[in-house]
Amino acid sequence: MAHPMIRVRGLTKRYQRGGETLTVLDQLNLEMEEGRFYALMGPSGSGKTTLLNLIGGLDSPDEGELIVAGEDLADLSGADLAHWRSTNVGFVFQGFNLIPVLTARENVELPLKLTPLSRAQRRAQAETALKLVGLGDRMDHRPRQLSGGQEQRVAIARAIATDPKVILADEPTGDLDRKSAEQVLELLQRLNREFKKTILMVTHDPHAAERAQSIVHLDKGQLGRIEHNQAPVAAK
Amino acid sequence: MAPFVLVWRNLLRHPLRSVLTVLCVAIAVFLICFLRTMVTTLNAGVDAADNRRLAVMSRNGLFAALPLKYQAAIESIDGVELTTKFQWFGGYYRSQKNFFAQFAVDPETMFAMYPECKAPAEQIEAFRRNRTSCVIGSELVKEFGWKIGDTVPIIGSLNPHPEDKAWEFQVAGIYHSDVPNFDNRTLFLHWEYFEETLKAGGNPPGVGVFSIKIERDADAARVIADVEAAFEDSEQRVDCSTEAEFQRQFVTMFGNVPKFLGWIGSGVVVVILLACINTMLMALRDQAAEIGVLKSLGFTDMSMFMLLVAQSVLLCLLGGALGLGIAAGAEAPISEFMVKMFPGFAIHNDTFLLAGAAALAIGLIAGAAPAWRARNMPCVEAFRGTD
Amino acid sequence: MLVPLSYNLRSLFVRKTATLLTVLGIGATVAIVSGVIALQQGFQSMYTGGGRSDVAVFLRPGANNEGDSQFSRDRGLKLIKSVPEIEVGPAGPIASMEAYLALLLPPARGGVTNVPLRGVQPMTFEIRRGEVEILEGRNFTPGSDELIVGRRLVGEIPSCVIDGVLELNRTPFRIVGVFDHSGQFAGEIWGDMDRVTTAMGRFGPNRVVAKLREGVEVGAPDPREVMFADEPPEPVPGSLAERLKNHPEVPARVYTEAQFLASQTVMLTGILGGLSAILGVIMGLAAVFTATNTMLSAIAARTNEIGILLSLGYRPVPIFLSFMFESLVLGLLGGFAGCLMALPFNGIKAGTMNFQTFTEMAFAFRVTPAVLVIAVTFSMLLGLIGGAWPAFRACRMKPTDALRRV
Ligand SMILES: Nc1ncnc2c1ncn2[C@@H]1O[C@H](COP(=O)(O)OP(=O)(O)OP(=O)(O)O)[C@@H](O)[C@H]1O
Ligand SMILES: [Mg+2]
Repeated sequence: MAHPMIRVRGLTKRYQRGGETLTVLDQLNLEMEEGRFYALMGPSGSGKTTLLNLIGGLDSPDEGELIVAGEDLADLSGADLAHWRSTNVGFVFQGFNLIPVLTARENVELPLKLTPLSRAQRRAQAETALKLVGLGDRMDHRPRQLSGGQEQRVAIARAIATDPKVILADEPTGDLDRKSAEQVLELLQRLNREFKKTILMVTHDPHAAERAQSIVHLDKGQLGRIEHNQAPVAAK
Repeated sequence: MAPFVLVWRNLLRHPLRSVLTVLCVAIAVFLICFLRTMVTTLNAGVDAADNRRLAVMSRNGLFAALPLKYQAAIESIDGVELTTKFQWFGGYYRSQKNFFAQFAVDPETMFAMYPECKAPAEQIEAFRRNRTSCVIGSELVKEFGWKIGDTVPIIGSLNPHPEDKAWEFQVAGIYHSDVPNFDNRTLFLHWEYFEETLKAGGNPPGVGVFSIKIERDADAARVIADVEAAFEDSEQRVDCSTEAEFQRQFVTMFGNVPKFLGWIGSGVVVVILLACINTMLMALRDQAAEIGVLKSLGFTDMSMFMLLVAQSVLLCLLGGALGLGIAAGAEAPISEFMVKMFPGFAIHNDTFLLAGAAALAIGLIAGAAPAWRARNMPCVEAFRGTD
Repeated sequence: MLVPLSYNLRSLFVRKTATLLTVLGIGATVAIVSGVIALQQGFQSMYTGGGRSDVAVFLRPGANNEGDSQFSRDRGLKLIKSVPEIEVGPAGPIASMEAYLALLLPPARGGVTNVPLRGVQPMTFEIRRGEVEILEGRNFTPGSDELIVGRRLVGEIPSCVIDGVLELNRTPFRIVGVFDHSGQFAGEIWGDMDRVTTAMGRFGPNRVVAKLREGVEVGAPDPREVMFADEPPEPVPGSLAERLKNHPEVPARVYTEAQFLASQTVMLTGILGGLSAILGVIMGLAAVFTATNTMLSAIAARTNEIGILLSLGYRPVPIFLSFMFESLVLGLLGGFAGCLMALPFNGIKAGTMNFQTFTEMAFAFRVTPAVLVIAVTFSMLLGLIGGAWPAFRACRMKPTDALRRV
């Protein structure tokens, strides 16, 4: 068995809301193996996004240990954490979150600016990523000029541009029609299969979850059962 | 390190807003140049003063005239190299709106005392020989089209001609000065003619100001003390000061005006600063979600701070450059327009510098508050967006 | 069908920061411009406040101000005798000769200034009955070396205090009182005409002032025109002014006091008027730009709402008016803020040289109701101009576009 890419021990996250303390994640324990595709499911408000943000180092836990890609996130802060993010995780959001004033290529190049790559190398790498997501012909379009599915594929290209080990996707198909959603899911599967990316994808859609190798259930801040999908639905 | 492509792209996102903000800053920079130059122009005489020249006037002020015989007494004081006398003539050409200064002067010494007042030697000589002639400034030539040989009628409102007519002076020479304390809108008339004519009317003139040039190695403070002491018991006491001090005293007569101009200038800066803060807060609102995304991609908090400051500074520097350009371009027409009230309106280099620095400061301050918020914005929060 | 006004008011409230910054910006602009106008109002009221039309001022022909004018004592007396229009009281004609000089004194702000020194005669106080009032101490004794100082000089010129001594050339004069006047005299030093002229080595008065009989028309042309026109206008035929102009023995120029005083500040009035106009236009532009930016962003944030309004059937004109109203309120709030910022200027003392007379003018900022009205009107104008383009853009949106661009 491969060693864990993500290790969560006693993870607790609370929010203060109007004098009340809301425990969103409560003593959570979880291990995720390298190179596996996980789906994270659970009712609205169960803390899925919160967990994803914690794993991605966007937010910090109140208690517990969090080791991602071999790094204890508690040891990192500020600029170090930002640097770690830029090389180790890629995010894909429900609302795409592309920068509207930049072209597809520039959006993908953006995280590469944090690396020591030369301008030409950055360009080449961005183009490779865009070709990989099937948008080699739309590189100079602005997000407004793309469809939702295309936008999300640009976002995926941006997430993999720095070749991170982990991809965190928060309802990546939530805003997409059936067909575009299929394309995005296939893409994620391919990234997992061909490039051995560890993927954690939040979703509400059982069909989407079927694409994953494991389905993690989260409810009221507690971990539920973990299903192992022996034969994930393959790309057509 | 901020992604600089975003600085420029974000400014182009709302082109009208950016243009209007740039214009606001340009306005501030132009007004700073304009207002400050009014003050520096008032002070120009002080800065350009010659420290070997002294001025002597009545202790009762410029309105009181000193007796002519004081000149000999002043000349006998040790350390005095040269003296010359001025009296305000107080007249106008045709109408009061054509106001300019006229002084009765001694042609023998006036030009020696003021080498900055330049005129061809033969014209000075012609002035010296012809007692009903005058020397006029180059601006007056531009304004009234007078030329050498013309007869200029001046109505004496302070010193009416005893025969109840306009005084008439032939233009013998045209002077020009490049020094700000010597304007080019003055008419100098011949002392002897002035004195004789008024004497004939039973009203001999006095002297408004005696100018003294001291010897190169003379101690100005000592000469000043000697001059004042010499007339301590005479009919009119005198006040003797260096040219710089004399000019400074004249400037103080403008009272609070320079201070008020300063107030207006600070008010202008505050107004434009508010405008820029407003613009930058709008920019922050537009870009809040993106800032979260950029942070999730691994951009540091500091680089997000820089992203907003850079936009603000770029806007203000563009505005500053435009404002300086306008000020430089408008300098000549403004100077032309204000030549009567404010001769010598010229923008100093340090005024340009100050105005440019003000633009930069506005940019930094206006950018700082939104940038600080961008820096501190947790990226999770940023996704949710604010409006 | 009009868009409910509360819709706009709420929007201003919701976007508090932008509203506040814009209001402050417009307010400061308005305050600056009102400040300059308040300054002008201050000295204008000082000069014209005391200007009476039943008092005549006689100057030497050709003279445009007191400093230029000059009479000998005899000619002054002859002039008074030859004008039957002057009212006669129990002690003879109510007329006096006045000498106008200046004393170089150090003001509290530093430097030096020429403070007007007026030599007056006992009859002056008869002309000024009810106008000039002793506030502290007493009036000077005629024929003595005593002075009284105007109220506005107290504090501004440290040496102008009761029991202080001013040297007029070589003669010490003692200050025995402080007097008040609503106009220019409160910025002057007064003493006995003969004593003052003797001490300063002057041979006579500068002007004659007299109270006219009721109903006498002076008939002088506007002195401002006399000063600045290429062809000076003539006095009214048959009037006192015309008769004196051509008088064989004592020719003189005569104005009513009101006319004369107005002419003494034309240059400063013009300069301050010009300055406030220039600042008003240039700063106004900046304020308009700020208002435009704020309204543009307010409208951008509500693009969706505008789409809904349009799809509900609202017509473009009411939408235009609705945003114009919002911008007008923005300007109006700015105007009120500007008035609040300008009010503290009221009463601040100012002093500068009137370069028509080369003497000190001590006066104060006066934020009059007129200034406030100008301020508020100006701010509304700024709001309207600033809102025009954004409101136009809003009402020209297509409902489909507006709804799409969430
Ligand atoms: N900044 C915050 N302050 C207070 N409460 C918060 C904050 N962020 C999230 N929460 C609360 O934490 C809980 C979990 O939120 P989270 O976004 O993780 O849910 P989720 O499982 O992603 O839901 P959904 O499926 O709707 O996206 C919710 O009740 C939410 O209201
Ligand atoms: Mg969620």
